[in-house]
Amino acid sequence: MRTLLRFGKNSRLRFVSHLDLQRFFQRALNRTGLPIAFSQGFNPHPVMSFASALAMGWTSEYEVLDVKLAAPMGRGRVEEAMRAALPEDLPVFGARMVDDRFPAAMSLVRCADYCITPEGAEADAVLAAVERFLAAESVMGVRKTKSGERGIDLRPLARSLKVREGSLYARLMLTERDTLKPDVLLAGLAGLAGVEAPRARVHRLCLLGENAAGEAVPLMEWKDL
Amino acid sequence: MNLSERIDALLERVEKPVRYMGGEYGAVVKDPSAVDVRYAFLFPDTYEVGMSHLGMKILYHTINAREDALCERVFSPWVDMAALMRAENVPLFTLESRAPVREFDLLGITLQYEMSFTNILEALDLAGIPLRREARDSGPFVICGGPCAFNPEPLAPFVDFFVLGDGEVSTHQTIDAYREWKASGLPRAEYLRMVSKIPCVYVPSFYDVEYHADGTVSSIVPKEGSGAPEMVCKALVNDLTHADYPEKLIVPYGEVVHNRIMLEIFRGCTRGCRFCQAGMIYRPVRERSMDRLLELAEKLVSATGYDEISLMSLSSGDYSCLPELAREMVRRFAERRVKISLPSQRIDSVLTDTLRETQKVRKTALTLAPEAGTQRLRDVINKGVTEEDLVRSVTDAFEQGWSAVKLYFMIGLPTETDEDVLGIARLAGLVRSCYLSLPKEKRAPGLRITVSASVFVPKNFTPFQWAAQLGNGEVVRRQQLLKRELSKIKGVEFKYHAMDLSYIEAVFARGDRRLADVLERAWRLGCRFDGWSDQFRYDLWRQAFADCGVEPDFYACRERPEDEIFPWEHLDAGVSKEFLLREWKKALHAERTQDCRKGCVGCGMRRYEGACR
Repeated sequence: MRTLLRFGKNSRLRFVSHLDLQRFFQRALNRTGLPIAFSQGFNPHPVMSFASALAMGWTSEYEVLDVKLAAPMGRGRVEEAMRAALPEDLPVFGARMVDDRFPAAMSLVRCADYCITPEGAEADAVLAAVERFLAAESVMGVRKTKSGERGIDLRPLARSLKVREGSLYARLMLTERDTLKPDVLLAGLAGLAGVEAPRARVHRLCLLGENAAGEAVPLMEWKDL
Repeated sequence: MNLSERIDALLERVEKPVRYMGGEYGAVVKDPSAVDVRYAFLFPDTYEVGMSHLGMKILYHTINAREDALCERVFSPWVDMAALMRAENVPLFTLESRAPVREFDLLGITLQYEMSFTNILEALDLAGIPLRREARDSGPFVICGGPCAFNPEPLAPFVDFFVLGDGEVSTHQTIDAYREWKASGLPRAEYLRMVSKIPCVYVPSFYDVEYHADGTVSSIVPKEGSGAPEMVCKALVNDLTHADYPEKLIVPYGEVVHNRIMLEIFRGCTRGCRFCQAGMIYRPVRERSMDRLLELAEKLVSATGYDEISLMSLSSGDYSCLPELAREMVRRFAERRVKISLPSQRIDSVLTDTLRETQKVRKTALTLAPEAGTQRLRDVINKGVTEEDLVRSVTDAFEQGWSAVKLYFMIGLPTETDEDVLGIARLAGLVRSCYLSLPKEKRAPGLRITVSASVFVPKNFTPFQWAAQLGNGEVVRRQQLLKRELSKIKGVEFKYHAMDLSYIEAVFARGDRRLADVLERAWRLGCRFDGWSDQFRYDLWRQAFADCGVEPDFYACRERPEDEIFPWEHLDAGVSKEFLLREWKKALHAERTQDCRKGCVGCGMRRYEGACR
């Protein structure tokens, strides 16, 4: 049996790196007292994975941890134990129990919703460029990867963009092949506006999968056929 | 913007923001309006170092267990953060509530090593607290404790009072006195008078120090009418089993030096190594019962989720039932995948049995500290370790599958000759032949021997408090001699350091009040994080001494006569001066003193009620 745990990362902890968060969750799972399944080998560790890594500096209300349990457990028990094991700045929003055949949370992620709030003098110009971005057929940008930088077309990777009260609400692709990160999008918008890319607060609102009809579905509600 | 938002803005711009973040699991956040006493606890080094310190965990826990008080943590901001804080007018703040330190009632600072002293001035300045005590008419009282409080004089003008010895009880006494003082409405000086009645509290402003023409101390006496005692005696917690110990710990997010459960199995040491200050000032040995340790281990594993427990003490192999403890720990925790680690820094303990036990769960590096290269010099320092002990330990370890050995030595010990220095290389060669003498199939591949040689720093309240530190030129010559000799042995790595840092440490380890000006000058010139070799600025220290007209050799390189009055003459660390002097004389004749478990050696601890039952 596995549990998908939805949790948030509040502003205070935004500088905790993904690696540190992984280590932290290993200890947190230990102190839940839940029957967590452990890996075999010389250095056994809890069998767990995050649906998606959150970049340092960002906040979120929709992170998903996929944890394997060694024995069946009720959802209420899991939520209660996780709440007790996490500090208030890693709030638990709910758990979902799935069986072992359920696809790994990581493999389900197709896109993510973000609230991006640019700051400083260029903020308005960047937000104003959203319309041009949406109207364009293609917007070239630069994606940084381990092997270097490469040019990509940002336009198809942005599923939707809406500006509301000084923030950009964006649904962006998030798969291994096609990924658009908020900072890359901002750089693209800044390029269109002819300004320097501004600093921005980034908050992840949701991680989404895709149902058989090709519609985006929040990860915690995703259903197998 | 409020302070928290202003701090946030800085965190975007510093190297390791996690250091200043707070919000860890297990951190205690209380409502400040619901308590009478707000205690800020400063560890004057980085978060990663401070969060690995057991004493801070104990005091944090015991203060926060009170309903009438809260304790919050402060660490020295790294140089990048300190610069930003100055530029943006952000005062030093605590991690829990991000409140300015200057708004607290008490500021407790732990003195773990002399080279953190400039960080204390830096912290006071960042907090907006005047450095010198006489310039303060509000804000927190500044309190220092920890091992370096046994030579508090270089910090005397900056600190309201020092607390000597174990903190579990004395910390509460100072907080109780604060409540009483606050309720009384009396002037600030009155609190100092009140705490000076606590036998382990030293209020430096209540004492006059006079000097001879040659610069040595002629007298240290309580001021007329101050009511301060002639001798300040260290606090002693006799029963560690029933003493407060944290049952929860803060679990940091980032990496810290020791990221595991630390279980103090006993305090003190019976060995009597003559260079070791900890071995003297933490006397006598007090063990925590096995039952209590197992209970604490259970609670801490559940509360923290750590998968490693480190058994801590000055000499863990000496714990009276170590094999039983290790066996029981392994039995209870192996299934829960909790590793037990044992800092194995002694080579003559019941080490081998225990190694077999701990190895089941984890193979820790074998670290041995013979300290000196020949039996004669080991007798001088009373390190009760023989070559046979070393051979047995490493052979056993190699047979058990270890292949890496770290050997720790000191250079510049009293009476050291070239023969002793070369003896270090001989021992390293011996370790190598122990390994090679085992058949190939019985040993793990890849022998690694690391030889570390630090420079000896004479410390006060040790038998070597009379000794001179070796001069720089001679240290360098001996280091090079050893380096050449070790280069002839295959597979040995040699680690040593420039001695500048050890020299400044030696000056402050036995310094007096006149060094306070040098300390402040050095800080004003830009010295901080002196214990970090990448930050240490020897040139600025030299300039500070020159600017203040103080000759550092007077403190570091002078063998002190037997009748000299020390700057710490009015402090009682438990061991008597007679004992230390007796030990100093025996050292010069390479005469050993037995481990006091084999019979009392008359160190003076028995003067303390309830000690050495």
